[in-house]
Amino acid sequence: MAAVIRHAIAEGLVVLRERAAVSVILALVLGVPISLAGVGLTLHQWLGPVAGLSGQKSSVAVLLHPQMEGSERRRWIAELASDHPDWVVSEVSSSDLAERLQRWFPYLKDLMDSGDATLPPLLEILTDNPESVTELEDRAEVLAIGPRSSIQQTLGQVARRLALIVGVVSFVLLAGAVLLAAVWVHLELYRHADEVTIMRLVGATEGTIRGPFLVAVAIPGVVAGILSVVGSLATVSGLSKLSSALGLSAMSIPPSILVLQLATSVFLPLLAAVITLARHAADATEN
Amino acid sequence: MIRLRSVSKEYERRTILDALDLQVDAGEFVFLTGPSGAGKTTLLRMLYAAEHPTEGEVWVAGRRIDEMVRAQLPLLRRKIGVIFQDFKLLRRKTVLENITFVLRIHGIAPREAHRRAMKVLRRLGLQHRQAAFPDALSGGEQQRVAIARALAYQPRLILADEPTGNLDADLASELLSLLCDINYQGATVLVATHDHAILESIPARTLVLHQGQIHYDGMWPP
Repeated sequence: MAAVIRHAIAEGLVVLRERAAVSVILALVLGVPISLAGVGLTLHQWLGPVAGLSGQKSSVAVLLHPQMEGSERRRWIAELASDHPDWVVSEVSSSDLAERLQRWFPYLKDLMDSGDATLPPLLEILTDNPESVTELEDRAEVLAIGPRSSIQQTLGQVARRLALIVGVVSFVLLAGAVLLAAVWVHLELYRHADEVTIMRLVGATEGTIRGPFLVAVAIPGVVAGILSVVGSLATVSGLSKLSSALGLSAMSIPPSILVLQLATSVFLPLLAAVITLARHAADATEN
Repeated sequence: MIRLRSVSKEYERRTILDALDLQVDAGEFVFLTGPSGAGKTTLLRMLYAAEHPTEGEVWVAGRRIDEMVRAQLPLLRRKIGVIFQDFKLLRRKTVLENITFVLRIHGIAPREAHRRAMKVLRRLGLQHRQAAFPDALSGGEQQRVAIARALAYQPRLILADEPTGNLDADLASELLSLLCDINYQGATVLVATHDHAILESIPARTLVLHQGQIHYDGMWPP
């Protein structure tokens, strides 16, 4: 196995050296859409709770007095829901409370960081008309109401469209990248047809034959992964500065998205290569 | 080592081999001769599973190879050294790399592969050409590299398709004595040739193939 891997790396690097331009193009056409998709996913995750991306409604946060007893609070919430059947009222669980408070009420950060105050209960009201929540301002139980202007809806629509456009563009570019990888492997197989035939005739296993081609597409895949991660981090960092300047919460890429970007960058060209190589092996003759 | 049972091969309704029966024991040296188109190359190709018979059974080294799946072929081929009529050398690799490449495929460590390759190149008088690429070699030199490659991994069976076709008389005689040496060391050797001078140079079992059938099986000359 070690010999097969050594051979695959050595010969794969030869293929890459011979086709440096193609491998750079492949890395770019893979890296750019994956980076775009990563930014799109991050934006979607960040805007989701703010703009109510899960539906057409907007989400409004309502901060309640911390002194409210649990039973009293539940009763009050039930009354609120029955008075406003068009609202979807839900209490934020204690596990999500700190994160949501920071998102909806960034000015409470100092209070939360000090750790010596009980965090106030938080409601989220999903509604078609966020302005209607304003009526709760006068209620004694309510401490504060989060952003509720219609810009939330606009933001949501823009974000949804942005997500759709980024999704479609990423998909088209990725499909192109996969096609490029498949065509490249196919052409390399054609160019190395004599060698492949000779290798088969002298007892090389399919693994030995395919290894160099897999390495040749995996390396641009790794480069694309690194490019996409760096690109996404830089873009999100820029967007985060912008959002902070607008008084919104900071934006960051979850590590799971970065891992997904790296994995996709390597997996997609490898998948294209594996399918092409398998089809070639099935059609192979030894003349 | 080799056993063929009622082996037939047809191409587009043309019979190449016709219900051929053949047995070659381990350690034998056998010539396969006959006019062009008699089926010599087809028969050799069947023995390293590059062709499959239309009918019949092909057994090599105790395994029925006409029914082998593709994944099993590499292990079979590692027991067989094939000297191809058209050399089949890797154009982008040097003489030395052509040999070490095959040894590496067989799982031999780089240093040992280099040692064995140099040994076989010295034996064939090609050590001074180790860094040359195949296209820079004469036909005879290319043929010797192909032979060196087939011998380097010490196969149990050697199949040679017109191995002296590109060699002058001296080199051809040298090659045959090399094949005899390998045969003395225990390898089975099957040489396809239409050169009668070669047949007469070594007393060995000779099979005469004609119109897809074995017309003569015995020592040469008859």
